[in-house]
Order: sequence, then structure tokens, then C-alpha cells
Amino acid sequence: MSDSIMTVNKLNFYYKGNIHAVKDMSLNIQRNKVTALIGPSGCGKTTFLRCFNRMHDLYPGHRHEGEIIFEGSNLLERNDITQLRSRIGMVFQKPTPFPMSVFDNIAYGLKLKGIKNRAELADRIEQALKQAALWDEAKDRLKQSANSLSGGQQQRLVIARALAVEPDVLLFDEPTSALDPISTGKIEELMDRLKQEVTILIVTHNMQQAARISDHTAFMYMGELIEFGSTEVMFTNPKEKLTEEYITGRFG
Amino acid sequence: MTEIGKRQISNIVALSLACAAAALGLFWLIFILADVLRHGIAYITPELFLNEATPPGMAGGGLKHAFIGQLLITLFAVLIGIPVGILGGTYLAEYGRHRWIGRFISTISDIMISVPSIVIGTFVYAVFVKPIGHFSGYAGALALAIIMIPVVLRTTEEMIALVPWETREAAFALGAPYYKVIIQIVYRGAATGILTGLLLAISRIAGETAPLLFTSFNNMFLTTDMNEPMPSLTVTIYQYAMGPYDDWHAMAWAASFVITVFILGLTILGRLIIRWKYKN
Repeated sequence: MSDSIMTVNKLNFYYKGNIHAVKDMSLNIQRNKVTALIGPSGCGKTTFLRCFNRMHDLYPGHRHEGEIIFEGSNLLERNDITQLRSRIGMVFQKPTPFPMSVFDNIAYGLKLKGIKNRAELADRIEQALKQAALWDEAKDRLKQSANSLSGGQQQRLVIARALAVEPDVLLFDEPTSALDPISTGKIEELMDRLKQEVTILIVTHNMQQAARISDHTAFMYMGELIEFGSTEVMFTNPKEKLTEEYITGRFG
Repeated sequence: MTEIGKRQISNIVALSLACAAAALGLFWLIFILADVLRHGIAYITPELFLNEATPPGMAGGGLKHAFIGQLLITLFAVLIGIPVGILGGTYLAEYGRHRWIGRFISTISDIMISVPSIVIGTFVYAVFVKPIGHFSGYAGALALAIIMIPVVLRTTEEMIALVPWETREAAFALGAPYYKVIIQIVYRGAATGILTGLLLAISRIAGETAPLLFTSFNNMFLTTDMNEPMPSLTVTIYQYAMGPYDDWHAMAWAASFVITVFILGLTILGRLIIRWKYKN
């Protein structure tokens, strides 16, 4: 565990009403690797993922304890949330295109960062679409509504939108669960290429997907981290009995 | 009889009943339009719109004063009603979603929508006309705005609530502050729905007479001073229809036709916008 980009230290998270959803999690997220979070529904993996870009701040009554060290400080204490969220992007389960053109969708995050120059926008949009493997399909449709794209294309558009602001980390919350196998395949290939440039955290219910694309896997159960380590070891020779039972499909 | 046979018969019965109900609704619409047109056609001329009222019996009179008055009162009502309605609806759908005050305002608005409009007229009379001491165009506009606000408020709230929450979260995840998310993402997603609601709200107030009787009252002369009693098409129709002269009656018919077609047009425009939205 040498080159870690983020260190989670005794993280606890409580939903409104003191519901303890994440319990004492500690782990290192390695730079330019894919880390998968797996576990049965309700185990707290999405809650955990959403701590990294402070999505919980949107809802009053929730509470953090512990720390996530990123760039030398605890990101849970940072005040520049806009800046933080442009460094740590997020892609959701369902595609979330904005009700505007393909071009404007990707320009949105760039404009928030203060980039207004038309030529620079066009440049960075092309680059982001190429990174997200959508350029060939979308280059003649930049002015069209993003809603006219297919579900898989929309998800890649959303990834391009997140990439355009050049984040260090991308959080994926079950990004392919609403997609068909071909679109899923494209997005998995994409993630494999993207880890050259960004660190990826992905929540997935699909065990094969975790095995295919991730370098490290964290198995969570009832809000606790049960096992964390290299994906290869975890899927071939898990240390914990619970992990083995889960990945062989005996529960969850 | 076979099972399929029974189903075919009940299908035919249900279909006939539905068609009959639709035909009944359509019949009255066409009947009203045709009857209004038949009585008023002689006066549906450019003069109706271009000339002011002449003394009864003198030819060449028009309702220019009433059209202008109606437009001004409606314009001011829209200027008050639309911002309040849209901002209020935004509050209810975004900030007030989980607060008791939000649900309370929504419920009150639903009640307001079904309050008889004459009650609103007397209310504005009591709080605005009486203290000031005279009828005015402003009072009429205020009464119409009060009728309009709950309609705009609730449509805006519902249209905004249709924008998926995930879309907002995605914008937050890019670092956007809440006010930018609302203005740049939510309003864009809800725009056609809100626009349709506005058109329906305008068509709702365009046909109101009762709230204007106690507020803008009436005026036989052209005025653009909103602080004076102001004529409106609906109150003029009422006055002319009650009057003793034949040409007044015919002019009331003509004005009725114009206002009905105007409201029908607005409603159809609203429907077309919805259809256009779903095509895209």
C-alpha cells in the first residue's frame, strides 16, 4: 500500500436520527487504481462512497466522525466544497444528463470553474468526449439535446462531463446497473483506460464486474469493513468466512 | 356465449359510452361558439377593436376601451402573479419540500384554487378599494393576480418536482451551488411545463368577471391610467348584455366570441407546447 491518494481513518457516519451507517472504516485508496466496494444491499457502501465528495452535506441532520486525508488535510473539514467536488467527481447509477445540449452538458462543469472562452471550451469538450469513448458517436450531435442519446451513451456523456474538469478521483455508484451488457462492457473498458489518469472508486452489486475491473476490493457488511485487499486474493483466497460466503453467492 | 364474445361486447359498450361522452362535451363547445358567433357576427369587424364606445343608437361604436383595459389589467395581474407564483412554487418544491410550512402552503393553495372568484373580489374591495376610496385598474389587477398565484404556484411546484432529484445531485457533484442548480438545471428541465401552467393561468383570469366588479369596476371611456376605474371586456359584456339596447346586446355577443376564442387559443397553445415537449 505505497502510493495512496486518500487515507480513510476511523470513519463513522450517522444518518439523521443517529442511524449508524458506516462504522469505524479505515483503509487506503491507491492512486491510479480501481477500488471496488462490494457488499449486500444496505451495507453502507454507497453511504461510504458519498462521504468522499461530501454529498451528505446536502441533507441536514447527518454527521461524520473520523477523517479522510486527501492532499494532506481531512476533506471532511474542508470549506471549499466546490473546489473539492471538482477534484473528486461522481457518476450515478442512472444516467443524469442535464436538460441541455451535449456540448452544454460538458461545458457546465467547466463554466463553474470559470472557463468561458469558446475555443478552450470546445477543445476540452472534445478531449473529454474522446476520453469517455463517445467522440465518434457524438461529434455530429453536439448541439442536440443530451436526452436524445441512448442510455449507455448518456452514461458515457456523464463520465465525460465529470472528466472534463480534470478530477483526481472519480466515484462510481453502480454505474452500469441500468445498462445493457454491451454498454456495460464499453464502460468497463473505459474505466480500465481511465485509471491512467484518475483514481476510481466503484460501488457495484455485480461480483464479476468487481473481479474484472478492480485492483483492490473492500467488502462491507452492516456498515463495517470486513475485508480489504487485492482483488485477486480476495476472489481466490478470502481470509474471512463472511467474504467467501458473499462472493460465492451464499447470501446477499 | 364464448368468453371472447363477452369481451367484445363489453368493449363495444365501453367504447360507445366513451365516444358519446366525448361527443357530448364537444357538442356544447361547438354549440356555444356557433351561437355566440351567430348573434355577434354583425359586430365582429375592425371597428369593434378600433373604435371607442359611441352613445347608444349611434353607429360605428366599438369596444377599444374595453380591450385596452382588459389587456392592461391582465398585464399587471401577470406582472404580480407570475413572479410570486414561480418563486413560491420554487420554494415549495426545493427548499420547503420536507418542511411542514411547505405542505401547509401547498394545501392552502389547493383551497385557494377552488375559492369562488367573487370572494376574492370582495376581499380586494375590503383591503384595497375601500381604504383608498375608489375603484381602480390596480385593484382589478390585484384581484386577478390573487386568483392566478395559487394556480402558477402549484403548477410550478409540480413541474419542478418532476425534475429527477438525481439530476440535481449530479450538478451538486460538479460543485454547483444550489441557486445555480435551480436556475440553470431545474428551470430548464421544467420550462415547458411551467410555461404551459402560465398560459393556463392567464386563460383562467382572462374570463373572470366577478372579481373585477368590485375592483376595477367599469368605465365607458378609454383610459390607460391604472389608478382610475377601468373597463374590462368581461364587465363590459355583463353591462352591455344587461342594457336595454339591441346594438349593445350584439356587441356583447361579439365580445363574448372574441374572449372565448382567445381563451380557447391559449389553451390549445398550452396543449401544443406539451405535445411538442414530448416529441422532443
